[in-house]
Amino acid sequence: MKVVYNWLKDFVDLTAPPQELASRLALSGTNVGSVENGPHGAVIDAEVGSNRPDCLGHYGIAREVAAIYKLALKHVSLKPAESAAKAGDAIKVEIQSPELCGRFTARVIRNVKIQPSPKWLKDRLEASGVASISNVVDISNYVMLELGHALHTFDYDKVRDHKIVVRKAKPSEKIRTLDGVERQLDSGMCMICDGDGSRTVGIGGIMGGAETEISFSTKNVLIECAWFDPIAIRRATRFLKLHTEASTRFGRGADPEMAELASRRCAELILQLAGGELLAGVVDVYPGKRVPKKIRVTRAEILRVMGADVPDKQIEASLTALGFAPVRIDHNRGAEGSLLATWECTQPSWRAEVEREIDLIEEIARIYGLEKFPPRLPAARQGASRLPHHEAETRLRERLIGLGYREIVTIPHVAEERDALFRPAGVLPARLSNPLSEEAGVLKSTGIVTMAAALEWNLNHGQRNARLFEIGRHYRLEGNQSLETRVLTLGATGEAREKGLYDSAREFSFADLKGDLDAIGQLVGSGHDARGFDWHDGGTDWLHAAKRGKMSIAKTELGVAGQLARRVADRLKLRQDVFFAELELDALYAAIKAAKTSRRYEPLPRFPAVERDFSLLLADGITFAQIVESIRSLNIPEITSIETVDLFRGKNVPAGKVSLLIRVTFQSREATLMDAQINHFVGKVISILEHRHGAQLRAS
Amino acid sequence: MPTVDNATAKTLNELGVNDAQGVAEIFAEVRARFDRQVALDTDGIRNLMLQQAWLGSDRDPVTSLRNFWLGRKAGVLTLITENWLKRSPPSLKGVIGKQFNELKSHIETKLAEQRKRIEEKTEAAALTREQVDLSLPGVIHPIGSHHLIRQVFQEIEDIFFSIGFSVVEGPEIETPYYNFEALNIPEFHPVRDDMDTFYIDLPEGAPTPLLLRTHTSPMQIRTMEKQKPPVRVIVPGKVYRRDNPDATHSFMFHQVEGLAVDTDITFCDFTGTIEYFVKQFFGAGVKTRFRPSYFPFTEPSVEFDVSCIFCGGSGAAAGGGVCSKCKGAGWIELFGAGMVDPAVYGFVNYDAKKVSGFAFGMGIDRLAMLRYGIDDIQVFFQNDVRFLKQFP
Ligand SMILES: [Zn+2]
Repeated sequence: MKVVYNWLKDFVDLTAPPQELASRLALSGTNVGSVENGPHGAVIDAEVGSNRPDCLGHYGIAREVAAIYKLALKHVSLKPAESAAKAGDAIKVEIQSPELCGRFTARVIRNVKIQPSPKWLKDRLEASGVASISNVVDISNYVMLELGHALHTFDYDKVRDHKIVVRKAKPSEKIRTLDGVERQLDSGMCMICDGDGSRTVGIGGIMGGAETEISFSTKNVLIECAWFDPIAIRRATRFLKLHTEASTRFGRGADPEMAELASRRCAELILQLAGGELLAGVVDVYPGKRVPKKIRVTRAEILRVMGADVPDKQIEASLTALGFAPVRIDHNRGAEGSLLATWECTQPSWRAEVEREIDLIEEIARIYGLEKFPPRLPAARQGASRLPHHEAETRLRERLIGLGYREIVTIPHVAEERDALFRPAGVLPARLSNPLSEEAGVLKSTGIVTMAAALEWNLNHGQRNARLFEIGRHYRLEGNQSLETRVLTLGATGEAREKGLYDSAREFSFADLKGDLDAIGQLVGSGHDARGFDWHDGGTDWLHAAKRGKMSIAKTELGVAGQLARRVADRLKLRQDVFFAELELDALYAAIKAAKTSRRYEPLPRFPAVERDFSLLLADGITFAQIVESIRSLNIPEITSIETVDLFRGKNVPAGKVSLLIRVTFQSREATLMDAQINHFVGKVISILEHRHGAQLRAS
Repeated sequence: MPTVDNATAKTLNELGVNDAQGVAEIFAEVRARFDRQVALDTDGIRNLMLQQAWLGSDRDPVTSLRNFWLGRKAGVLTLITENWLKRSPPSLKGVIGKQFNELKSHIETKLAEQRKRIEEKTEAAALTREQVDLSLPGVIHPIGSHHLIRQVFQEIEDIFFSIGFSVVEGPEIETPYYNFEALNIPEFHPVRDDMDTFYIDLPEGAPTPLLLRTHTSPMQIRTMEKQKPPVRVIVPGKVYRRDNPDATHSFMFHQVEGLAVDTDITFCDFTGTIEYFVKQFFGAGVKTRFRPSYFPFTEPSVEFDVSCIFCGGSGAAAGGGVCSKCKGAGWIELFGAGMVDPAVYGFVNYDAKKVSGFAFGMGIDRLAMLRYGIDDIQVFFQNDVRFLKQFP
C-alpha cells in the first residue's frame, strides 16, 4: 500500500516529516518498505499485515497516525446534494446468498459526463501507482485508496430490469470479466447478477463483468458498495488465480459499516467531477449487520503477559484513538494505576480480528512502544539436555574430520531418474505432488543421490580430489506414512594423498574407504581386541561387484560401502573412480553408546611382547579372516594380536597364489615368555595353517 | 735458557732456578707458552699437536690440547708437579705451589672458555646448514571440516543451551495439522499464501495429506503435546518453501525454532532472551529493536531487527552513499517472534490463563550470510570444496 504523505493531511494535522513518520509507523506495527520523494511529495511504501485490512486505505493509516502522535482524526461526514427522485424506485437489490454477501448498497446518479479526471485526482492516483482511466472509474479507485473499501460502478442502463441479484455461482457457469478474460466459476463464489438473476455481471468482491462496464458513452451510473465474506473471497481467488485490489481488501475482511460511507463519498466526488443528479437515499440490503463485541482488558493480564506496567492514561488514549471506546468498569474506578483496573472496550467494525483480551494488550503495547518494556533474562528452572544422540554424533564428527572428510549440506529434492539409480528395490520414494521442476520432483531415498551430485559438481569445477560426508536423512514412504531415516553418507574421489614435497601422490582406493570406516568402527568396539564393524561380501548393484561390502554390528545391518559401478559412473559422466558408503545412524549411535557404557580399563601388560612374522604362500581366495580364525581357534591366550604386514602377488609368486606376511604378537600377563614357549606356539600356528589352508611357509 | 718443551722433564735445580724470582719467571714463561697455544685456531692447534705427536685418537685437536696440558699421566701440569714441585728444596715449595695453583686455574679457565667458543661456532655453522625454510609447507595431513551451516547451528545451540534451552528435533515431512492448524493457521488463512508449500504425492485414499514443513514451528506443538510446562527448547532443522531459487531464496533452508513456556514468562523475558542471544552471536556492540508484527501463532508478534553490522547502523556506505546491505535504514531484519498466542495453548491442552511463553524462528542461512558476507544462498548447497575449505 503506497501511502501518499499529503493525502494523510486530509485527515490529521500531521507535522512530523515523512522519514520520521515512517519510522514511527514501523515501530508501531505498520511495516515500511521505503520512503520515496516523488513529484507529488513523499510516498511511504507500507507493507500492511494480512491482519490489518483497515490500513489498506489512507483513512485507516491516518487513524494509526492519530494514535501515535495523539492527534485528532477528522470525521468523514458527507451530505451530497440529492434530487427528489428516490434511488429505491430506480434500482432493486436482492441478496439470495447472505452467507457470501453481508451487505449490498446501491446508489444511482443520472446524467453524468464521463471525461478525463482533473489533475489533482490524477496526481494522487499516480503517486499511488494507479493508472487514470476516466473520472468515474478513477473516483471508485480513489475512494478505495482513501477509505480502504472497494466499490464497483456499473453503466446503469446496461443493468437489465434495473435489478441486482446476488447469488451463488451455478456449476459450470462462466463470466467474461472486465479484463476481457472468460472465466470458469466455482459453486462457492458470490455472483452479482442482473434482471431475473440469470446473467452474471460481476464476481462479487473480485472483479466486475465486461458487459455492464462504464464507458465514455455512459450516462447513468450505478454505484455498488458491498461487503463479502473474506473466506469465500480467498477461496475464490485461489480457484480463479485472480488477485485484485478489491479481492485483497474483501479477502482480509473489510468493514461492513464503511460500505455506505464509501458509497456516499463516491457519489459526492462524481457529482463534483462528472456532474449529474444523485437520486435520494440508498438502497441498502444488510443481512449481515453485526452487534459490536464487548471485550475486556485488565491490568492484571497486561502485567502477566507484558511483564511491565502501562499507565492508565496511555491505555485509555491508545484504545480511544484506535476506536475501542474503553470504559473502566471495576470497583476501583477513579483509582489510577489500580491493579484491579478493568476496561470494557467495544470492537470497532473495522477491527473484526480484535476479539480477545490479548488482542487489546497487543494494541496497547504497540502504541505505547515495545522498547518501554525492559528486557531481562529469565532464570532457568531445569537442566537443559542435548539431543539423545548428541554425544555419539559428536564423536563420529570428530573422527570424520580427523580422517579428512568435509561436511556437505544438500537439498533433498532430486530428479526421479537419479533417485531410481540408487534406490533399493521395493522402496517407495516420497514424490512431490507439486514440484518446482522435474529435476526436483522426489525426495532422495538414499543420501548417495545428493552425495554423487556434490562430487559431480566438484569434478565439473576442477576439484578432482574430494572426501565428503553428510549427516542427513533419507526419505521414503511406507504406505501412507513417511519415513525419515538418519544416515551418514560418505563420498570420496581423486587422490588419497596429494603430491607434496615429502610424499608422492596416491589415488584413493577401496582400502582407504575401508580404513576410514574401520576407524569409525573403533567407536563401537571395546577392549584391546575391538573389532568394530563386521564386513560381509555383497552390497547393492550400483556398487562395483568386486569392490564393495556390507557392514554390520552384532547382526544389525548398518550399510554398504564400495566403488561406484563403472556403468553407473559412465551414466553420471564421472570420469574417475568414485567411492561411496552409507550407514544408518540410529543403529550406529546406539552401538557407540553401548560401547561407551561397556568400555573398561584393561591393565597394561607388565611383561614384554614378542613378535613373530610368518610369510605364507596361500592359494588365491583364502581370506585373511580365515587365517585369523584358524589361529584364534588354537585358543592360545598369549596371542594378543594378528596383523598383516604385506600382501604380494606376481614376481616370485606362482600364479594362483598369494604371498601373505602376517605378524603374530605373543605376550603373557603372568611372566616373560621363554624362547621354548614361543617356539612351541609358533609350531602350533604353522601346523594349523598348513593343515587347514595348505599354507607353505616361505623364508621371511 | 732451555725451552719449556723439555724443561718440565728436568728439575728446577737442573734448570738453574734457585730463588723465588727464578720460579716466577719460569712459570711466566710456561703461562705465555700456554696462552700462545690456546689462542691458535683449530687448524693451528692440530698442526701443533701433530708436531708434538700429541694428537689423540679422538683426533679432536682441542681435546688433545687439553690433554697436553692437563692430562693425568704426562700432561705439562703433571710433569711440573712431579719434576718441579716434588723435587725442589723445601724453601721454594711454597712459592712453586702458589705459582702452580695460579697456572692451573688459568689454564682451566682458558680451556673452558676455548671449548665454549668452539662449541658455539660449531653450533652456529650447523644451524646455518640445518636452517628450515619457514616459507615451505609442512607435511599436510588431510583434515575435514564442518559445513558452515552446521557451525552456525552449533554456535546457536551452545548459546541457548547455556541459558537452559534443550535441543529437540522433529520430522521434516509433516501433516497440515502440525504445520498449520494447531498453529492457529486454518485453511484459507491469508498467511498460507506467504508459505507456498510442497505436498507429498500419496496413494489414492490416504487419510492425511503430508507436506514438507514450511517452518520448524510444528515442533512447538509436538513438544507441548509431550511435555507439561516449564518448556524451553530450540529446534534446529531444515524447512521448505516452494519459492523459485535465486541469490536470496532457496526452496530448502534452515531454521532454529525456540519455545519457552512457563507460569511466569513475560514479554520482558522474551526480549531479554533474544537480546542475550544476539549479543552473544553478533557481539555486545550491536543494537536491537523489536517492531510489532503479525503471525497467527504469536501475540504480541514482533519482527526483530539488529543495527546493520556492515555500516554500524549509520546507513551510510564507507565510500559514501547508502549502505547496500540495509538500504540506508541502519537496521537489518533478523527474524520473527512473539508471545505464544493463547489459541495455540488450546491445541495442546495448556491452560492459557496460567501459562505464558514466547516463540521465535530464525533463518540460519540468512544469519550465516550476514555474518560472513555471503551474497548467494546457493553456495551453501553446491558444496564446492573451495567453499568448504574457507570455513575450516
Ligand atoms: Zn548498513
